[in-house]
Amino acid sequence: MRFLAWRLALVLPTLLGVLVVTFLLLYVAPGDPVQAMVGERSDSATIARLRRDLHLDDPLYVQFGKYVGGIAKGDLGRSYITRRPIMRDLLKRFPATLRLAGAAMLFATLTGIALGVYGAWRPGSWPDRLAALLAYLGVSFPVYWVGLLLILVFAVALHWLPPSGSSGFKYLILPALTLGMRSVAIISRMARAATMEALRSDFVRTARAKGLGELRVVLRHALRNALLPVVTVLGLDFGSYLTGSILTETIFSWPGVGRYVLNAIEKRDLPAIQGSILFLSVVFVLVNLLTDLAYAKVDPRVAYD
Amino acid sequence: MRNLLTAALLILLSACGGDDESRALQYYFTYDPRSLDPALSTDVPTGEVVALLFDTVTRFDVDGRLVPGLATRWETDSTGRVYTFHIRTGARFHDGRPLTAHEVRTSFLRALDPKNTGARAWPLTPIRGAAAFTAGTSSEVDGLAAPDDTTLVITLDQPLNIFPKFLAMPATAIVPPDPPADFDQHPVGSGPWRFVSWSHDDEIMLAKNPDYWGGAPRSDSLRIRIIPEPLTQAAEYEAQQLTVVEIPFGETRRWELAHPDELQRRPAIRDLYIAMNTTRGPLRDVRVRRAINLAVDVPTLLHTVMADRGVRAAGVIPPGIVGYDSTRAPYHYDPAAARRLLAEAGYAGGFPLQLWRSQRPEYARIAQSVQQYLGAVGIRVEIVERDASSARAAVRKGQADLFLSDWYADYPDAENFTYPLFDSKNRGPGGNYAFLADTALDAMIERMRSTPDSAQQAALARDVDGRIFDLAPWIFLWFPVDLWALQPDVTGWRIPAIFFGQRWMDTRRTDVAVTK
Repeated sequence: MRFLAWRLALVLPTLLGVLVVTFLLLYVAPGDPVQAMVGERSDSATIARLRRDLHLDDPLYVQFGKYVGGIAKGDLGRSYITRRPIMRDLLKRFPATLRLAGAAMLFATLTGIALGVYGAWRPGSWPDRLAALLAYLGVSFPVYWVGLLLILVFAVALHWLPPSGSSGFKYLILPALTLGMRSVAIISRMARAATMEALRSDFVRTARAKGLGELRVVLRHALRNALLPVVTVLGLDFGSYLTGSILTETIFSWPGVGRYVLNAIEKRDLPAIQGSILFLSVVFVLVNLLTDLAYAKVDPRVAYD
Repeated sequence: MRNLLTAALLILLSACGGDDESRALQYYFTYDPRSLDPALSTDVPTGEVVALLFDTVTRFDVDGRLVPGLATRWETDSTGRVYTFHIRTGARFHDGRPLTAHEVRTSFLRALDPKNTGARAWPLTPIRGAAAFTAGTSSEVDGLAAPDDTTLVITLDQPLNIFPKFLAMPATAIVPPDPPADFDQHPVGSGPWRFVSWSHDDEIMLAKNPDYWGGAPRSDSLRIRIIPEPLTQAAEYEAQQLTVVEIPFGETRRWELAHPDELQRRPAIRDLYIAMNTTRGPLRDVRVRRAINLAVDVPTLLHTVMADRGVRAAGVIPPGIVGYDSTRAPYHYDPAAARRLLAEAGYAGGFPLQLWRSQRPEYARIAQSVQQYLGAVGIRVEIVERDASSARAAVRKGQADLFLSDWYADYPDAENFTYPLFDSKNRGPGGNYAFLADTALDAMIERMRSTPDSAQQAALARDVDGRIFDLAPWIFLWFPVDLWALQPDVTGWRIPAIFFGQRWMDTRRTDVAVTK
């Protein structure tokens, strides 16, 4: 419990740091939000009026004070461009991101661990060599290339799956494969190495000596010990998937937070950029916290109190 | 085990095919509209969807001709300042309320009110009293009157012959009185399509308005997907999930080979150009600017980079717009003449320039080619690549020597290609990225804008274009040609001349061939 309280207390300065950095960075970045708002055709009177309405001419510390004040009340402000509340827009998109990240992680975990454990159990077999090749390709090929290739094969050539969109389960398959591919590569290699090491250890020899079945030895004894590094990767990857996978969401027209952030950046929508980064930082910090807590479950030696 | 996996995969995939989505009309935008409130319409997707949901007083047809909208006809008085629009009877909003001249007036006042909308409805600002109303110094717009249900009288500050075209702009579309706070999310219009739903960054669903005064659309529904990636758009089309798709420039040859019978072309009313900042260094000298035009081999560039998808420009007014002069000879590629002109201007040794561009794929190749051509006459070009927003901000502040960009027409008229782009009042943010300030040209543009006589207007437009060509504030490149693919069973759809000119009224799919 003390650990949990300590970790939660650490979240606050982290987020305050994020707040200050994003606020300042965006004010020194080139590009003018009002120019983006008014479009190509505008006059300087309208631009001056909008700058005044948005308090963009106030001193920086006044703007920052107003912004922090709003956030303290749980208000991320309104988008300059759409005039909609940012929190509401993010919360609307977050389920889509969660769905995609969850599916990608599920695919990556199951496939990665299965390939890794099988490879450790039967090193040098053809599935092991295939897994090594897939891992190599998985980390080497860029996401957009794999995404477009999957669309060309499964949607355009074979007509098995829709190219893009988010209307149901079948729409989830290609983006989840694309997004999870890199994790499959890393998880399978880590699971393989860790399981191999465990299979050579004394407790596995003991388990075998007791006459346990091979499947039970591998799954109950070796795998459990191999999971710790895998959990670390899972936590980090899940965190980054949840904070928006801009490329995958763009290729598959997936309406998640990644595209919201990208749109905001392209339009110089300052409050939307700041709000998204803050929101996503909270998500990332929470996922990391959960990962830390998961260690204790996986490895009883890790005790936080 | 392997058989089991294969069987599971097959079951999964067989459950995935089979729906008949290709029957409905399916269109797409590359990004989410910022709002469905006409008064906030400053982006292309908002403009397009507003034109489907709402009506405007006048309207552009698919060829860009001004035709009646809510007004059946209109006339101007001898001063060219007072316009009378005759509003049709029988128009109704989708919730059943009648739409008369009074609703038009109320809607215009709302669009001009900074409290409600941010007052970005520039097409309405020529109305007498509108500027003061928007600035908050007046509570009335005295140039706007609706004496009865069918008459709208508009008095302008000064004569402006294109004003009826302004009332075709999406930002002026008519909204019902007292729209609720969430109107931008659940709009109620009076147009041929009714709003059904909007899932952000995903899709907008529209249904036909069976009671539309102009007759109901021929298809029942129109689904507009948000698909940002051009290659995904192409894949959706090839998987029969989009009714039409725009072909990117880089993909032209592939589509000409793969789908020759499905392609439709239309010269766009759009300019592709490189603005030269006429207030910076050697670019102040018109001889230097002409030399730069002579140094670039535009036809070769057009052929190699754009697969000939463009009409060589010798001016700024595109083909299809009154004032376009097909007889004017462009600056011919002549590096020797360019060098002579540069030497004459005192720059025989050359000089450095920065060429700014945004990150569009075709811009990279154009910029590199121009860099090479200008290098051959001694001008050392450094290419500065920024995202569109940053590049434009710098250019508007006058920080760029050269800027590669394009100009989409807001409305099809020579005025739209001259006044915002070259009048000295619009230097910088207004669109005059060359920062050109030429008193004679300003006066010519003013005459062109105010003359009520259309023949005279056309002659003046040609003269204005000629003057701009002589002043060479741009490297005149080309007027792009739009290329779209249509599913073979689609009828009643043509590439619109202006981006909000296609209302999908006659479009339908006749023979639905679903590929499984």
